[in-house]
Amino acid sequence: MKLTNSLRSLSICMLLGLFLVSCGEKDESSSTETDNFDRTQMLTDWADIIIIPAYQTYTTNLDALNSSYSNFEANPNETNLEALRLSYFNAYRSWQKVSMFEIGKAEEIGLRNFTNVYPTDSDKIEENIATQVYNLDLPSNFVTQGFPALDYLLYGAADSDEAIVLLLQNTNYAQYVSDLLSRLTALSKEVLTDWETNYRTTFIENGGSSATASVDKMVNDFLFYYEKYLRAGKIGIPAGVFSGNTLPDAVEAPYSATNSKVLFDEGFEAVRDFFVGKSFYSEEKGSSLSDYLAYVASQNESTNLANSIETQWTLVTSKVNDLSANLNEQVITDNSKMLAVYDELQKAVVLMKVDMMQALNIQVDYVDADGD
Amino acid sequence: MKKKHLLLAGLLTIGMFSSCNKDKEDDTTTPEIQIETPEYYEFSRDGSSTISFSGQTDRLNMGEELLGQLTDFSQSSENLLEMYANQTATGEDANPFADADLNESTKSIKSKVAASADFFSANTTESAEIKATIGSWIEAQVNEVFPNENELAAVGVAGQIADGSSVRYVNTKGLEYNQAVAKSLIGALVVDQISNNYLSPAVLDAGDNRVNNDAAIVEEGKSYTTMEHKWDEAYGYLFGKSTDATNPLMTLGEDSFLNKYLQRVNEDPDFAGMASDIFEAFKYGRAAIVAGDYAVRNEQAEIIKEKLAEVIAIRSIYYLQQAKVAIAANDMGGAFHDLSEGFGFVYSLRFARKSNSTDAYFTRAEVDGFMDQLTTGNGFWDLDASTLDAISDSIANKFDFTVAQAAE
Repeated sequence: MKLTNSLRSLSICMLLGLFLVSCGEKDESSSTETDNFDRTQMLTDWADIIIIPAYQTYTTNLDALNSSYSNFEANPNETNLEALRLSYFNAYRSWQKVSMFEIGKAEEIGLRNFTNVYPTDSDKIEENIATQVYNLDLPSNFVTQGFPALDYLLYGAADSDEAIVLLLQNTNYAQYVSDLLSRLTALSKEVLTDWETNYRTTFIENGGSSATASVDKMVNDFLFYYEKYLRAGKIGIPAGVFSGNTLPDAVEAPYSATNSKVLFDEGFEAVRDFFVGKSFYSEEKGSSLSDYLAYVASQNESTNLANSIETQWTLVTSKVNDLSANLNEQVITDNSKMLAVYDELQKAVVLMKVDMMQALNIQVDYVDADGD
Repeated sequence: MKKKHLLLAGLLTIGMFSSCNKDKEDDTTTPEIQIETPEYYEFSRDGSSTISFSGQTDRLNMGEELLGQLTDFSQSSENLLEMYANQTATGEDANPFADADLNESTKSIKSKVAASADFFSANTTESAEIKATIGSWIEAQVNEVFPNENELAAVGVAGQIADGSSVRYVNTKGLEYNQAVAKSLIGALVVDQISNNYLSPAVLDAGDNRVNNDAAIVEEGKSYTTMEHKWDEAYGYLFGKSTDATNPLMTLGEDSFLNKYLQRVNEDPDFAGMASDIFEAFKYGRAAIVAGDYAVRNEQAEIIKEKLAEVIAIRSIYYLQQAKVAIAANDMGGAFHDLSEGFGFVYSLRFARKSNSTDAYFTRAEVDGFMDQLTTGNGFWDLDASTLDAISDSIANKFDFTVAQAAE
């Protein structure tokens, strides 16, 4: 549909060219194809009712995690370990709501790499703890920090809850957990503060249509998250889509694997909510990609792609409903259900990466790494 | 010296025989030579296979071990250089490999780097320089990069840089030496040996090879003629690590060298069929040797040389263009990884043979010019799109494909 549209504008310009000497200049301005959709309103809604509230909730939940840890340190027992785990899980869930917003300060500091690279490297974590020499700023320590490292320390570092309570009282372990929590907290606050004081304005004011404009960048970040982190990371990699053999331990949070499906659900919900502009707090909806696609469809008198994408996602949900809460177990016992989810997720990649990007005239700005 | 005399004698013999051949042809009632090309790369004589390329497989395996150890921070440069040469710095026997068979082997990577008959037999100066350059990258990995294992890379500072969630270790200019070594060996070892050595008439027809091949005189204790073996050694550099080397296209991508990147190129719809074209040429050329049809053999050799040159050129451009995209997205780690692979492929251009010519596609000076552009000043930290496009254009201009076709 876009093709016919641009062909039409091309032929109009060519016609004009017959009459106007200065058509060259006009031609250029029309070829940027700026439509009249209110991008500024969409950016404002993204920032105000989705992104900033999601970061606020995330940092609040990290504060709660810190207090739970202080309680545990003051009274190390199994009850407080359970409370600590619950706070960890809440924070991890709320991370899923901000993970896709790797833009601005988050992109600059590489927030996602320091927060949620998995599988974590338990040997290297143990080495860091034993030697007490580690620099968490280094890329080689992506695999020893963030939520996956906490998952190991709170669930997997010893054989029983009793033993974990004991282990975490060891000074070196206690120091490490404390360092991981401080770092998560500091990084998240750095990003939130930047949004609140500075980046919100930059983000909204950069409302144009170019590779560096906010809409183009955000849509790319959204798509990248969907493809690499939701589809591949949470489902495809453990299901063996890329390796040929299944990798059950590559699920998110393998040491508390009964949480793993919820982490997927949170991420998937974040994707769908962002797409339709649903407010972080209520059922209220702001201006969104869905609206933008509907606008383009009405301009071109074409099918509304947003409907196709949302329909596809309801098919994803129907397959997700067949999954066990424990994705590690799901991969081991019946991986075909994981593959079924993957396939439905993949169909939406095609709809978005090809059709949606074309409809919105946005270039995909990332490439598929060739894996070496 | 002795070898040279033999070669000269061989050339003289061919000269004399060529007139004899003509007479013979006139006498022959059926001048058509029947070439029987098998479905798979399977050739035998009296019931035993005539195919052997274990020396090539050994060198590819040595290369794999070397590459694996280049990012093992406990390695010494001494040991890594012994893996490169399969001997000590003073020429004593060394056992640097984990695989005992490789330690036992008399082969080495280094002795076959820039060592082809066509390009380097009378250019030992450049051969020695290339061997030393690759050796210097191995040493620099230990001396420059290893000490900065736990530093963040920055302009002028070696260390770590994130590429997605992976970690890359780069020198002060952003180059991963391990990638430079890996991708340079694709040209300096693999393609140079295939295109400029084993598929060269100078090697295939050396000495009495034609006479012996025509008379089916096999090497002592072997089932193959020397000419058959030379051809198979070329084949082994490309397919020597394939699970089923008789049918290697089923499992393309089984090494870290040329085979892997042939697969990558073959996956690009713009170059679909590349792997099959090369495999068919190897098979047909080998069958032509069995039939004694040297014109067909040479035609197939030229096809292979051309395609392999294209593989190197396509991957050079591919990585430079991917790096351009990554730089635009401010993803320096991703860009440096692409550039490091591209750097090695560009270095390999020196060995890419022009078909039906005595020349390489690129002169030493041209390749050095590209390398200078990539590494001048702060190196990769300073590179911009225009430089990468300029180098890509210079490469593509020599071939029938475009930068855009190679880029994705």
